[in-house]
Amino acid sequence: MKAASLLLTILLTAGMAHAQDYLNCKFAPGWEQSGPRRQYAADNLFEYKDGGAEGYLIFGFVRMEGIDCKSGDNTLTIDVSEMGDADLAYGIFAANRDPNQPIAKIGMGGQVQRQSASFAKGKYYVEIVEVAADPESDHTAEMEAFVTGMQKRIEGRETPPEALAWFPREGFTSARLVPESVLGLRELKRGLVASYKQGQAFLVLEASPESATEVLKKLRERFAGASTALVGDEAFQAKAPYLDGICIFRKGRYLGGYANLPDSRQAASQAAQLAARIPREPVP
Amino acid sequence: MLPVAGASSKLGLWPPSGESVASTGSSPVKLDYKTLGRTGLKVTTMGFGCMITSDPSVITRAADMGINYFDTARSYQHGNNERMVSAALGARRKQIVLSTKSGASSKDELLKELETSLRELNTDYVDIWYLHGKSSPADINDGMIEAQQLARKQGKIRFAGVSTHGGQQQLLPWMAQKGVFDVALTAYNFSMDSSMNQAIETVARAGMGVVAMKVMAGGFRRMKPADPLYQKLSKNGALLAALKWVINKPSVTTTIPSMTDMDQLDENVKAMAQPFSAGDEKLLAAHLENIRPFYCRMCGKCEGTCQKGLPVADVLRCLTYADGYRQFALGRERFLELPFEPGVRCGDCAQCTVKCPYGVEVSERMTRAQELFA
Repeated sequence: MKAASLLLTILLTAGMAHAQDYLNCKFAPGWEQSGPRRQYAADNLFEYKDGGAEGYLIFGFVRMEGIDCKSGDNTLTIDVSEMGDADLAYGIFAANRDPNQPIAKIGMGGQVQRQSASFAKGKYYVEIVEVAADPESDHTAEMEAFVTGMQKRIEGRETPPEALAWFPREGFTSARLVPESVLGLRELKRGLVASYKQGQAFLVLEASPESATEVLKKLRERFAGASTALVGDEAFQAKAPYLDGICIFRKGRYLGGYANLPDSRQAASQAAQLAARIPREPVP
Repeated sequence: MLPVAGASSKLGLWPPSGESVASTGSSPVKLDYKTLGRTGLKVTTMGFGCMITSDPSVITRAADMGINYFDTARSYQHGNNERMVSAALGARRKQIVLSTKSGASSKDELLKELETSLRELNTDYVDIWYLHGKSSPADINDGMIEAQQLARKQGKIRFAGVSTHGGQQQLLPWMAQKGVFDVALTAYNFSMDSSMNQAIETVARAGMGVVAMKVMAGGFRRMKPADPLYQKLSKNGALLAALKWVINKPSVTTTIPSMTDMDQLDENVKAMAQPFSAGDEKLLAAHLENIRPFYCRMCGKCEGTCQKGLPVADVLRCLTYADGYRQFALGRERFLELPFEPGVRCGDCAQCTVKCPYGVEVSERMTRAQELFA
């Protein structure tokens, strides 16, 4: 028992040492670590992100490690958050990113700006923020150096959630992962939401086709005057307050649909395009 | 304090203090209003904390139901939350009381962040502008107060506030004495002790409005609607009872629960119409009793020390990771890092010398931790 415990300790310590590898101020020349490394878990994150912790917790926050770096009068804060899984890490990145800037190919996705950078790779979400003596100065090159150094050392998935590619591209503006209550509907627990010039689309993965059918049934009961639509394996369309023209379908284990379109027929037409892009899962 | 005369919004003049700003709502239940201290603003006794809301339709519907106080912050989703709130409330701006916050630490940074907030919220003013997440008087410098006062003179904010999640027993009386703040936004719930009640009453007596947050003493990680514990508490009415508890506190003006879906909104709106009953009190007492023996608040107020040198608070923290947050791996990892003397086990003593002021059964929990993690 003692040997097993010792082995476990060694393995965990090795894991921590690896974690420290990507927290390094020397990725850009002239930077030195200032102060000790910090660590937070779900229960005490508020001590660091006072007033902002819930924004992490909702994405399945597990823990955070971070350091501060200093170069002359400039300081840099690096925080690496471990989220519940890679999709959730992508989710928090997408929720916090600057929508006016493009997503760069850094890990699953990232952004580098003049005095800040962020990216998601595997189940990790990385935030780098510089407080420069000159607030107008451009430190993009340093940000890129830190991002490059860190992402090489962080393990994990480098592609965004596969289902993002299934959203039709015409009129597409952005996509994000909603950790709970997609479209404000409790039945749609966690899913991807794509915004379009007009309306929004969503995809939710259920455990089985049967549970997806059950959810679809519950959803249909919410919408008075819903009628059957010929989309995917089963579907309905409706017109509803706040969601306007809406169509929700099931295809295999997936629930998907369009909302906030002028009428339900248009929603059904759009939903059919989305359903057609969802690959049919092999029958076990 | 009076609003700055003559300042106007993009959508028209703001409503004068003392008038209800939610006369057009269509709620299925009767809405209740209170005056937010010296601001004179009449707000629904339940507002809306927008921080984790993903779909703007939930916020829009809340406004249509008549809820008239909405809260966001510059830092929520790096500013994306303010943008979403703006999209959700749109033309309803002049019917609602809108607050945002900045965590900046200097006058210049604060004012810069305020400009960004106004732009993202698509408004000329916010009704309440909070200094975000302060835990002691030392967290608030003169420059911050000057920024709030300047912003008010310029008509960019109507009232000044401070938000706080900890250290309220010192911070709130200081705010009351300082006399430059109109509203306190504070964590407050049924599990807190009497010193917190006194701190709340102190600011209310000083004429400040009190907005409560974190009203469901989850203590444990925020519960999601899908969590079994959430469902259990929701089903037996404990969540609603916790909301009613705070709404019915005379010193509290309003509260801002987070809401992510339409059902949650409907459930919470009911709380406004209902008194806090003896049944609610029983539910909360039972809930408190349920969590009391297990829930280490990490308050550092453990009475006494372990005769065998066991790091009691640290061990209980590890157990909270495993039992409370369902993070067994993390709990075990931290547990294994603790400096234990080999062979020392809790449970060997006839009587435990460590007592928890909140009733955590120390010896039992220590034994469980050692069994669980060893």
